[in-house]
Amino acid sequence: MSHSWKRALATLFPWCLLACGIILVATQVERPGALVHLGVQKARIGALAAVMTAIILTGGIDLSVGSMVALSSVVMGVVWNAGVPAEVAALTAIAAGFTAGATNGVLVVIGLSPLVATLATMAFYSGLAMLLSGARKITEFPETWLDACTFGGVPNEYWLLLATFVVAIVIVHGTRFGNWCYAIGDNPIAARFAAVPVNWTQWWLYAASGLVAGFLAVVYTMRQGANPTAHQGLELQVIACVVVGGTLITGGRGSIPRTLLGLAVISSLDIGLSFLSFKVEFLTADARLMVIGALLVLVAVGNEWLARSRE
Amino acid sequence: MKAPVLQLVDVTRRFPGVLALDDVSFDVLPGEVHALVGENGAGKSTLINLVSGVLQPDSGHLQFAGTRVNVADPVAARRLGIATVHQEADFFPTLSVAENMALLQGLPVNRLGLIRWDDVHAQARRAVDAIGEPIDVGQPASQLSIAHRHMVQIAAAVQQQAQVVILDEPTSALTAVEAEWLFAQIDRMKENSVGIVYISHRQEEVLRLADRITVLRDGRRIWTKAAEGVTTDALIQAMVGREVQGTSDPVPTTDADDPRRADSHTSPDDAPRLRVRNLNDVDGRVCNVSFDVRAGEIVGVYGLVGAGRTELAHTIFGIGHRASGIVEVDGLTPTIRSPRDALGAGIAYVPEDRLRQGICRSLSLRFNTVISTLNRLSRGWFADRNAEREAARNVVDQLAVRHRSLEQPIGQLSGGNQQKVVLGRWLLSEPKVLILDEPTRGIDVGAKAEIHQLLRHEAERGTAVVMISSELPEVLQHSDRILVLRNGELAASFDAASATAMEVAAAALPQTAAGPTKARRAARLPGTVMGLPLGELGLLLMVIVLAAWLGLTSDGFFQAGNLTLLLADIALWTILGLAAATVIVAGGIDISVGSLLALAAACAGLILKQPMSPAVTIPLAIGVALLVGTAGGLVNGATSLLGRVHPIVVTLGMMILYRGLVIALLRGQQISYLPRSFGYLAIHAESGFRGTIVIGALAALLVHVVLSRTRTGRHLYAIGSSPTAARLVGISPARTWLVAFGIGGLLAGLAGVIELSSSMQMQAQLANGWELQAIAVAVIGGFSITGGRGHVVGVVLGSALLRLVHSALVRWEISGDQVRFVVGGMILVVVLLDLVWRRWQR
Repeated sequence: MSHSWKRALATLFPWCLLACGIILVATQVERPGALVHLGVQKARIGALAAVMTAIILTGGIDLSVGSMVALSSVVMGVVWNAGVPAEVAALTAIAAGFTAGATNGVLVVIGLSPLVATLATMAFYSGLAMLLSGARKITEFPETWLDACTFGGVPNEYWLLLATFVVAIVIVHGTRFGNWCYAIGDNPIAARFAAVPVNWTQWWLYAASGLVAGFLAVVYTMRQGANPTAHQGLELQVIACVVVGGTLITGGRGSIPRTLLGLAVISSLDIGLSFLSFKVEFLTADARLMVIGALLVLVAVGNEWLARSRE
Repeated sequence: MKAPVLQLVDVTRRFPGVLALDDVSFDVLPGEVHALVGENGAGKSTLINLVSGVLQPDSGHLQFAGTRVNVADPVAARRLGIATVHQEADFFPTLSVAENMALLQGLPVNRLGLIRWDDVHAQARRAVDAIGEPIDVGQPASQLSIAHRHMVQIAAAVQQQAQVVILDEPTSALTAVEAEWLFAQIDRMKENSVGIVYISHRQEEVLRLADRITVLRDGRRIWTKAAEGVTTDALIQAMVGREVQGTSDPVPTTDADDPRRADSHTSPDDAPRLRVRNLNDVDGRVCNVSFDVRAGEIVGVYGLVGAGRTELAHTIFGIGHRASGIVEVDGLTPTIRSPRDALGAGIAYVPEDRLRQGICRSLSLRFNTVISTLNRLSRGWFADRNAEREAARNVVDQLAVRHRSLEQPIGQLSGGNQQKVVLGRWLLSEPKVLILDEPTRGIDVGAKAEIHQLLRHEAERGTAVVMISSELPEVLQHSDRILVLRNGELAASFDAASATAMEVAAAALPQTAAGPTKARRAARLPGTVMGLPLGELGLLLMVIVLAAWLGLTSDGFFQAGNLTLLLADIALWTILGLAAATVIVAGGIDISVGSLLALAAACAGLILKQPMSPAVTIPLAIGVALLVGTAGGLVNGATSLLGRVHPIVVTLGMMILYRGLVIALLRGQQISYLPRSFGYLAIHAESGFRGTIVIGALAALLVHVVLSRTRTGRHLYAIGSSPTAARLVGISPARTWLVAFGIGGLLAGLAGVIELSSSMQMQAQLANGWELQAIAVAVIGGFSITGGRGHVVGVVLGSALLRLVHSALVRWEISGDQVRFVVGGMILVVVLLDLVWRRWQR
């Protein structure tokens, strides 16, 4: 196969997967209305994936997003239980998320590897969430909250997804902040010499990640209460979306709209396969996992190869 | 007439756009010092690289002891007997000095394949004793000063009994006393008939030491003569290419249309645009420097390597830290603590190292051009791509950058064009002061001329231009004034129109063959106490304290039953921690260890449930589990290697995949009712004896032996410490990477067997999330995530500490999930302490 054929294949592969996924969903769905609610989980991942893309663009990573959501969620629940009005509880949750993200930012700026720093804070924040909640769920929220969970007939999670992507795309692809992200990811030393504010940019990215986690926590808690264990493993799905979308884990290459592609691929395949599993016996949860895991690796390898062949 | 030990015959070597060596012949006789002299870009580095195996000639060949050889790589060069002491050598920062030295020739092993550390240390000490400096060969090489590092390299070369030794600027970082030691070593080598190639800018040294001198200029050999009778004048003339007619005549120029101006465009009344007064940096590399630069003048800054020119620029630009002094731009004294501040103050700096400090290789030409001036090219908060493109196009046209498209990755351009882009980037900022560090290094003659014209043009527009250069002709021909730095101080200042090459070169030379005479660093804390590194000692202390506290505050802690349970726990987590550590030490990471453990356990469990005699199923199950673990690890390693994907992404995907496999194998069932005898592996129910402890201890011991006493184990540390240095000493990073992942997988499989044996049942969710704790154990135990460091003892202690903390928290009725909070906190504390320690050491 000639070079350009291989390149075409590598570029089209995620789109083919998306097509497969959509076909699966379209043909196997029995109650289209349920799609909206099944998609809510995916929307949560997507909102976090928008910011995670920017972080990965700079060559960093944030493994603590799931724990930050858990922590903010618990904070909201605890504060609410203390008798505080709902709006204040929500604001406190968002503030908690921002603080957690800002702390990550400080750790990275002072020189810790983002991998180690967010691995540690991942454990720290989730443990803290457990501690604050006494490892129990807080679910006694007023019924009225459930009504507030949708806006214009669409669950809030989708609005949050839209908002984060729009803001992320505008900032990363429309302002100099975005250019700075790419420069830092490609060569942090040269970026510094080129008068790019490396520390400031990185701090804000990690703080933004915490902020979005805070918002997500509010949206989630309003619907399903504060559950400290509900968000474990979230970060891995978020990273999977980013990687499948084509952003290189080493930084400097990729884009936010592509993460939408990754999100779409993973969501449609996951939902489609789960529908299929009702009919086909051997396609159980494990098979879905294996497929997603293998795809993640395959697409990542393909993207690396593509990036290398462009040089 | 002795036969040459090394010969280059009609060697030519090209790089894109540059003819680095043009039909050069060169030879070295045994027992002679043959000096190689020439300006930067003359071809000296290329020649050294050819001889040391880093590069291959395009045409011509090398001969060693009369036979034609092909020096394919640095290992081959060393095996032939050619030792090279580079100016900036790759070395293993986390490994000890002794090990660094030993790796050059391969670690010595005994009949069992175990490394003879005593020999390694003895040899190193012998070499270092010859230096006469207090160098501890057991300390990490990163803690050596540059001077000591050079001296150790030289001592190693002497010890290796090489037949040819190449010394590249060996005294650039040495004091007068240390240089005398070097000269004594050279005498020793001459007595042993070693052929020495000596490269130096220091003409006094060259004339003192050399038996023969070869001058290179623009890739050609100008002449080779016996050193006797060669004068400094003749040397400079040959290097520079012009007649030097005494001290009062100026050096004539080559560009008839761009003559050096005898009259300045600025009058003495003009206030200087840049005023530097008594500038000192915190590292002592810039000492009390003061100078002015007026609008429209080009000030050349000349000096030898290590004179402090780049450090001066960095301090002005906000990268180095200023200890004291003033930097004034157009009469204002702005606070400059970062390049961003400097940019705001109107100072621009084109860095020395184009690749590492200048360009973002994969990003476009346009991006690299506008990156520093985006604020001017945007509409409010939003980027204006059209404005960016226009600005980039202007730069590219004005500077004649040869390119295909504005969106082309800058890495595809030639060095000269890349340099123009970086220069253009800063010109866009309309600077008041423009500082350039080696602006024409490594660039072809045509591009050099263009850049010089650009600088003159910029100066005529009123910018204050500072040009740092090691090329004497460049400084003489293209600046108005010349500042000479020596040992961090401003040694002399010349008017370029009337200065001679001789004067300027002489001013740059230290009075004696001395280098920096700064006081030696104050003594640091010892790295080890009683053989145990400080970190592990601290861990041991914490373990003892915590165990004691638990014993005192809770009844029954020291009961045999409780203790054995605790020890078994520690043993299991030691194995899992080691699984993570072996991969981390090689510079990788494997977050699928939990899933691998479960997969191995699932395979073992399924085999054990087969209706066959336990005497068959048990060994088979164990074997398969270990095999599955190893295979899984190898798949991880191979995929990240072949696919060139970072292991975190690969192991993330594989973690999901392996977990899926586990679920598939178990088919929603729980594995239970295993043969009783299998359980004896972990616990002998009747006597309470826990086999886990023995297995754990054995595993730890085995891994310790492999990691610290076998070549393969040390190679893991080597590639984690510096993959580039590893290649240079003949270690295959690929093979070693696979070994690391394989061992990690094997240990994960072992942990799976033990876990299955001790709980006698498993579900699909076994070990979900255990990878975090495994990595925590490794990191707390001293294995830095960047690789190249860590001891098995640390993992044992880390595991003990974590399990004790677990016990303590259980006593306080804090559940297992909440323990994560402590685990995370502990990782943070350990890593922060390590960071602080490392910064303090520097």
